[in-house]
Amino acid sequence: MASSQELSNFLRDVERRAFKQTVYAVRDEHVALDIVQDAMLKLAEKYADKPVNEYPMLFQRILQNTMKDFWRRQKVRNLWTTLLSSFGAGQDGEEDHDPLDTIDVEDESSNPQVQLERSQTMKIIEKALEKLPARQREAFILRYWEDMDVAETAQMMGCSQGSVKTHCSRALHTMAALLEKQGLGSKVMANLVIES
Amino acid sequence: MSIDNTNQEISEALEVQAKQIAGLLDAHANRLSMRTLKQLENGRARAMKTHAAQLAGGSVNADGTLSQIGAWAAHHRMAMAGLALAMVIGSAVVLKSLNNNASSDALLLSAELPPEAFVDKGFESSLNVPNSRLQQKT
Repeated sequence: MASSQELSNFLRDVERRAFKQTVYAVRDEHVALDIVQDAMLKLAEKYADKPVNEYPMLFQRILQNTMKDFWRRQKVRNLWTTLLSSFGAGQDGEEDHDPLDTIDVEDESSNPQVQLERSQTMKIIEKALEKLPARQREAFILRYWEDMDVAETAQMMGCSQGSVKTHCSRALHTMAALLEKQGLGSKVMANLVIES
Repeated sequence: MSIDNTNQEISEALEVQAKQIAGLLDAHANRLSMRTLKQLENGRARAMKTHAAQLAGGSVNADGTLSQIGAWAAHHRMAMAGLALAMVIGSAVVLKSLNNNASSDALLLSAELPPEAFVDKGFESSLNVPNSRLQQKT
C-alpha cells in the first residue's frame, strides 16, 4: 500500500504532463484541468490500497477513461448545443480576464530571442500533435512521452502490440512531415533539444 | 526516411526525433501558468485528503466533505436504479391490492347472501353458533 507521501510525490511528478497531454486531446485548458483533477481523485479514492509502482499504469488508464467519458458527454451536449445555438449566440469570450492566466513559470533563458523561438517551436509541435488522429496521438504520447514499452502501451490502449506499432509509425511519419513542412527538420530539432 | 506509413518498422532517425519531441514537450510542460499550477495543486490536495480518509477507513466526497448515509443518491446511476426498484415495488403493491378487490367483488356477487350481511358485524358470529343452540332458542 502506498503512503500519502508516495502518492503526493507521484501526483506531483505526473500532473503537469497529464495536464498537457489532456489539453492536446480535448483542446480546452479548463476541461483538461477538470479531467486531471478528476483522475487524481479517482486514483486516490479507488486505488489507495495499491502499491506505488502500479500507479503510473493505473493513473494513465483512469486519465484515458475520464477523457473518453468527457467525449461521450460532449457528444450528447453537442447535439443540444447545435439545436439551441441560435438562442445563445454572442456570449462567448465575455469572461473576466485573470492576469494569473498569462504569468508563466519563469523561463530559465533570459534571452527574449531564445524564448520567442522556443515558444514558436512548441506551438508548431503542439499543432502537429493536435492534428494527429486520437489513437495515433495516444500511442505517440504513451510510447514516447510516458516512455512505456510497446506491451504496456498496447495494454493501456486495449489493442494488440502490432496496432501500437502501426499507430506509432503513422504518428511519427505524420509528425515528421508536418514539422519538416514548418522548417523543423531532424537537424533543427536536435539543436533545439541541446539548447533547451 | 521511409514514406510507407503502413510499415510498422520505425526507422532509428524517427525514433530519435520522437524522443526529441518528447523531451521538448516535457520541458514545455514545466512552464505552465501560475493559475494552472495552483489548480493542479488544489486537485492534488483534494486527492490527498481522499487518500487519507481511505486509509482511515472512511470516505470523503469530491468537495472535501465527509460521505454520509444516502450519499449513493448523488450518483445518478444508483439513484435511477433506486427509483426503478421503487417503481417496481410500488406497481406490485398496487396490482396486488387490485387483485384483492377483484376477488372480494367476485365473492360478493357470487354469494347467496345480500351484501349487507357482510357489513353486519354480528352476522359472522351468528353463523358460527352451532345449529343445536339455534334450535333451543327457537
